[in-house]
Amino acid sequence: MENGLIGFFEKNSIYIVMFIILVVWIGIFLFMFRTDKHLKDIEKELQSSSSKGKEN
Amino acid sequence: MTFVIIAGITFPIVPQPKVWYEFPIIPGLEEKAKIIFFHVPTAWLSVIAFLMAMIYGIKYLRKRNIDDDIKSFASLQLGMMFTILATITGSIWAKFTWGSFWHWDPRETSIFILLLIYGSLLALRSAIDNEDKRASLSAVYSIIAFLTVPFFIFIMPRIMVGLHPGSLELDPDTGKVIQGTNPVVDFKMNANMRIVFFISLFTFTILYFWMYQLRYKALIIKDKISKKII
Repeated sequence: MENGLIGFFEKNSIYIVMFIILVVWIGIFLFMFRTDKHLKDIEKELQSSSSKGKEN
Repeated sequence: MTFVIIAGITFPIVPQPKVWYEFPIIPGLEEKAKIIFFHVPTAWLSVIAFLMAMIYGIKYLRKRNIDDDIKSFASLQLGMMFTILATITGSIWAKFTWGSFWHWDPRETSIFILLLIYGSLLALRSAIDNEDKRASLSAVYSIIAFLTVPFFIFIMPRIMVGLHPGSLELDPDTGKVIQGTNPVVDFKMNANMRIVFFISLFTFTILYFWMYQLRYKALIIKDKISKKII
């Protein structure tokens, strides 16, 4: 299987470039997801702190 | 900011330039030459990110404002990510151009050392609890670490013999430095490629600044909220 895949890539080298672009995008998206997680935490903390404020 | 977002979204147009079939064929590379539009900008961004980390490190040391330290940290994270991306994309390319994923080529060795240097900086940061101590240590370390970056990325791979485009090549018989025999090592772009390449560099740089701003704003707000709540 692995040989077949590598052989396919060797014959169609444009797919190597596309695969590499995919890797770059995956990296960038992972980073953005982590930033998004930070923002969600901030939202949660803001909501919990504002509801606490109302109770008091 | 709008411009930055638009550039970030329209950016995927760059990989499929209309004139792609006008690019010259480089023997031994063919389509693989197009990696230059994506692999080189990631390496370029890691230099910019480490430079920004150093600038904000200096700013922190001068004004002792914790926000500058957070900005430096956000830039360090981005720089680390882009260095890893450059390494991964480079080694995939190497698998199909040179035959295996890792060769200890001068370029590969230098980026590996860079990863170690900045990886230890991130480990150092996570090991210190005291905020001011962590900030000043990381600022000093990032300044010293950046001094090695131009050497490892721009100088060392160019003055040593290697397989990566841009390095020196030796005549196997005489052992002297020669030029122009290996089309992969002696890689030159034509005008079309150069235009796309510089557009790609430019848009990647904009993308970097957008990601960087989002990141440090999120980190600063998180820091402020956690301080207020405590």
